[in-house]
Amino acid sequence: MKRCLIVDDSRVVRIVAGRIVKDLSFTVSEAAHGAEALEICRKEMPDAILLDWNMPVMNGLDFLRALRREDHGKDPVVVFCTNENDAEHISEAIRAGANEYIMKPFDAEIVQSKFSGVGLV
Amino acid sequence: MQESTFNELADLALRHSGQHFAPSKAYLMEARLSSISRRESFATLDDLVHCLKARPNQRFEQEVAAALTSKHTNFFKHRDVLDQIVNHALPSRLKLSKNGRLRVWCAGVASGQEAWSLAMLVNEQVGSALSNAEISIVGSDLSTDSIERAERGIYGHYEVQKGLSIHRLMTNFTRHSTGEWEINEGLRQSVSFRRHNLLHPAQDLGAFDVILCSNVLGGLAPQAKKDVLSTMTTQLLPNAFLFLGPDETAEGITDVVKPSREMRGAFVKRDKSLDAAVA
Repeated sequence: MKRCLIVDDSRVVRIVAGRIVKDLSFTVSEAAHGAEALEICRKEMPDAILLDWNMPVMNGLDFLRALRREDHGKDPVVVFCTNENDAEHISEAIRAGANEYIMKPFDAEIVQSKFSGVGLV
Repeated sequence: MQESTFNELADLALRHSGQHFAPSKAYLMEARLSSISRRESFATLDDLVHCLKARPNQRFEQEVAAALTSKHTNFFKHRDVLDQIVNHALPSRLKLSKNGRLRVWCAGVASGQEAWSLAMLVNEQVGSALSNAEISIVGSDLSTDSIERAERGIYGHYEVQKGLSIHRLMTNFTRHSTGEWEINEGLRQSVSFRRHNLLHPAQDLGAFDVILCSNVLGGLAPQAKKDVLSTMTTQLLPNAFLFLGPDETAEGITDVVKPSREMRGAFVKRDKSLDAAVA
């Protein structure tokens, strides 16, 4: 089974996104901010990361830049999932190495479509 | 909804669009007419039909018939078919073209996503033979509302996230402050939309190298399938291609087209001069 790390400071979003991703046959792990996510990735790189932007301790963009510098840090498919829905934020995320971008609010069909588009399902 | 109301609406759909509604699809009727019924302040569909019968109004009838058609579509909904058109059908037609101009008809295009998706794929063919071709895409639909939406090319938060990659969204759309996304000018140059009923002749749309009509035939009555295929194949150039939805076929309905040997699911218009030569 593929593994997906969900990184979001909202417990509710982690639960909702977790259910959707489990339905896509992923095993799910969670982190509440970028620093926690980086620790998890250093132990075991996931196949996919669903990543919020605004979080305490380390935000999503800083996490992504740090991740891509790690050994095997280019392996996970990273899908931003955030309220930052303007073109500038999206461009910045892509430049930092994001593979896809989900604009909140989202539903199961959007997650499936985006995961399918980047070859995760 | 009373049985007589269902029968009236089913008859109206059959007359205007050739759609067949089985009684088990009454719920679909109610869902598709909820918006128009609310707008016109009808408490029930029985009231709507009563009004149609008491005060016949051709324009409102057409509007109801259009509302009964399926509007469900996404960007890149039938990705395999679009890839076949761009990678095989259009290059094959381009080889036969004397002026480098190719025309595609997306029939029953609802709010336009299929036509725009094809235009995006065509624009991405940088460096291929197609990049030198002049390709125009015509989208048509029975519904005036749908065609107006398609022409506006403005789509909502959920619509642009289903089937459309973030790279294509950023390349082909501009975000409005409302959160909606609008098709860029560059893509609009090759795409146009027309209101058209597939049961009627389409000579004024011109002749086409490729016709794409997905998820239309499946919902039609047998005679309407014949009529719609006749409309489309009349506008198809000899040896040009017809693409239908994944579960739809022209086989057994018309012999004007035959299954393509090269492309699965595609049909090619018979060249009568060649048929005559073989005979």
